[in-house]
Amino acid sequence: MRLLATATALMLTVGTAQAETQVRVHYAIPTIWADVQQMLADAFMEANPDIEIVIDGPAESYAEGVQRLLRESVAGTLPDVAFVGLNRWRILEDRGLTQPLDPFIEDEAAFEAAGYTGALRSLGQYQGQQHALATSASTLVMYVNPDLVEQAGGSMDDFPTTFDGVIELAAKIDALGDTIDGIWIGRHDWRFQSLLGSYGGRPMTEDESDITFDQPAGIAAAELYARFVDEGGMKTYGQDQARQAYPAGTIGIMMESSSLMTRFIEAAGDGFDVTVKALPVAAEDPSTVYFPTGGSAIVMLSEDPEVQKAAWDYITFVTGPEGARLVVQNTGYAPTNALVLEDDAYLGDFYKDNPNAFVAHQQVANYAGPWYAYPGAEGVAVTDLIAAALVEITEGADPETTIKDLAETVRGELGMK
Amino acid sequence: MMGGARAWREGLTTLWLVGPATLAMTVLIFVPVALVAMLSFTDYQFGARTFNWIGLQNFADMVSSPLGRRAIVNTLIYAAVVIPFSIILALLVALGLHRLARRAGWLSNTLRAVYFLPVAATLVAMAIAWQMLLHPTIGPVNTALVALGLPRQDWLSDRGLVLYTLAAIGIWQSVGYNMVLFLAGLSAIPASLYEAATVDGAERPWERFWTVTWPMLGPTTLFVTVITATTAFRVFETVATLTKGGPAFASDTLVYALYREGFVYFKAGYASAITVVFFIFVLLFTALKFRVLESRVHYR
Repeated sequence: MRLLATATALMLTVGTAQAETQVRVHYAIPTIWADVQQMLADAFMEANPDIEIVIDGPAESYAEGVQRLLRESVAGTLPDVAFVGLNRWRILEDRGLTQPLDPFIEDEAAFEAAGYTGALRSLGQYQGQQHALATSASTLVMYVNPDLVEQAGGSMDDFPTTFDGVIELAAKIDALGDTIDGIWIGRHDWRFQSLLGSYGGRPMTEDESDITFDQPAGIAAAELYARFVDEGGMKTYGQDQARQAYPAGTIGIMMESSSLMTRFIEAAGDGFDVTVKALPVAAEDPSTVYFPTGGSAIVMLSEDPEVQKAAWDYITFVTGPEGARLVVQNTGYAPTNALVLEDDAYLGDFYKDNPNAFVAHQQVANYAGPWYAYPGAEGVAVTDLIAAALVEITEGADPETTIKDLAETVRGELGMK
Repeated sequence: MMGGARAWREGLTTLWLVGPATLAMTVLIFVPVALVAMLSFTDYQFGARTFNWIGLQNFADMVSSPLGRRAIVNTLIYAAVVIPFSIILALLVALGLHRLARRAGWLSNTLRAVYFLPVAATLVAMAIAWQMLLHPTIGPVNTALVALGLPRQDWLSDRGLVLYTLAAIGIWQSVGYNMVLFLAGLSAIPASLYEAATVDGAERPWERFWTVTWPMLGPTTLFVTVITATTAFRVFETVATLTKGGPAFASDTLVYALYREGFVYFKAGYASAITVVFFIFVLLFTALKFRVLESRVHYR
């Protein structure tokens, strides 16, 4: 009898506890994230029965996701936390929608020890405040076709680690045939920022008051584009065509986001062994080098202190080692918690089976840096101007004058003059 | 006295009949259009909490900025290629199929279905097929060119060529639809007119076309022209799926620019200004077409 009473009382407490706090979650790109989001929510709710995670219907892309969040902010129906593109949380911050996370972090040293390294924290910081925490990451890597390298007389074991060496090898691959292209890289803001970072450059000053990609590092990065075309046999086709051509085996070296790894391996099938190499580090002082990081971050949007506490628990779970393990195993993105790379217990077996992933993920852990979003109303628009200037460079325009003109135009557009 | 009450009742009935539709039209069409027109005079950013009135600044920016001008010029070039070609080709195909129908009906019907396929298929899905076909190294189109001893072309990434590639796809898309309209027009021409033409001495096909077919197709041609023109000015799907306006804005068109400014750059005020310009564009064009052509069209 007493047992029954205890059991009833227990059930009642569990029953009431379950409905205590509800956290609404927004995410985008269901093709990559749908299963993982459910796994994260289920694993979290199992450990925290007093918090219920409610997942909103996903947006098709990060761009669409931000649009929806902006609409919801106008309508007053914002979710409590949101997974957004790493280069897009600033749009929300700019409109005062994100809640700073510093009050929740409290002890910075302990947070660092929990796997949130300075490089990883920098992905969600603006003007010294933590607005977002990265949940998945990718940087620019080199996808190599080993068969073509072999045919061109190169060696995969002794693969070049400088841009000069890469271009030389690309030229040899390009000479193999009419339909074989030596190298390819997208003419796009993020790719340009990656090459710039390899030379130790930054697109803007620390306080974002001036453009700095017209300094020597930026000109060197722009000259790479010209050399890829002139010497490395890069064709000027677009991103979609290149993403078809590499798995088809007609591109020797392709510089692309590490998040495409799974897709390329599947698409290449038995054709050849897709092999990932780290991007060359060109700066004399490697400590200045960083690679702008794509991927997603989680932000807190709720203004209710009660919900905020529960939301913070969810955020730390998702970005903690357990969440990072789930993300890595199911998406192909690199982890955003250093503990999983340091401790074999989380992903040791996974990396043994996926050496390509280890190369890409180590690059993220060593060199992750912010993907600069340009400030203000014209911020997104100027990235298209940058892409257009890169198109001109690959079609023969002088890199130095083009980049200097571009910097002036961008300064004008952003009101920096 | 009685008449007044009756008029009142009739008025009420009228209101009851047209009221809901008018209300729906006001709420769903006129109010949004008015809002867009209003936004076009502001610097409103999507999701922002405030905005400023900036008068005609957005319109001035559109005309003065190289990007805005390029979008307008590109759209005009695109329309100038697509409108005549898709009408002339559709007319030729329709005339051919119409003749063929008398000798080999099944063949004519099959061909008709084939020509209509691009219309029935989703353009976005077909764009992906085009992308494969036009691939610079592994695409069948370039492979065929090389086999014929011709140089490869970068159909979608050559800045001088890309707009015409998109125009060709636009023509391919609209020929089938225009053909069906022309076929309907052709079958509505009474045979007696051709007999009369023969009696009057118009024996050769060319003479019969000029004296009977072409004048009788006038209303159809007017309709086809207006439809083709508005679709050409609205070109969006192929740009969005195949080129995203690139490379370097070489294939940027008015509606794609509108999408880009509003939904990628979040500049709602500026995007509204483009919408207003586009709206006026299409409205003027349609009105002009009807006014100029209606006087010359032979209606029965």
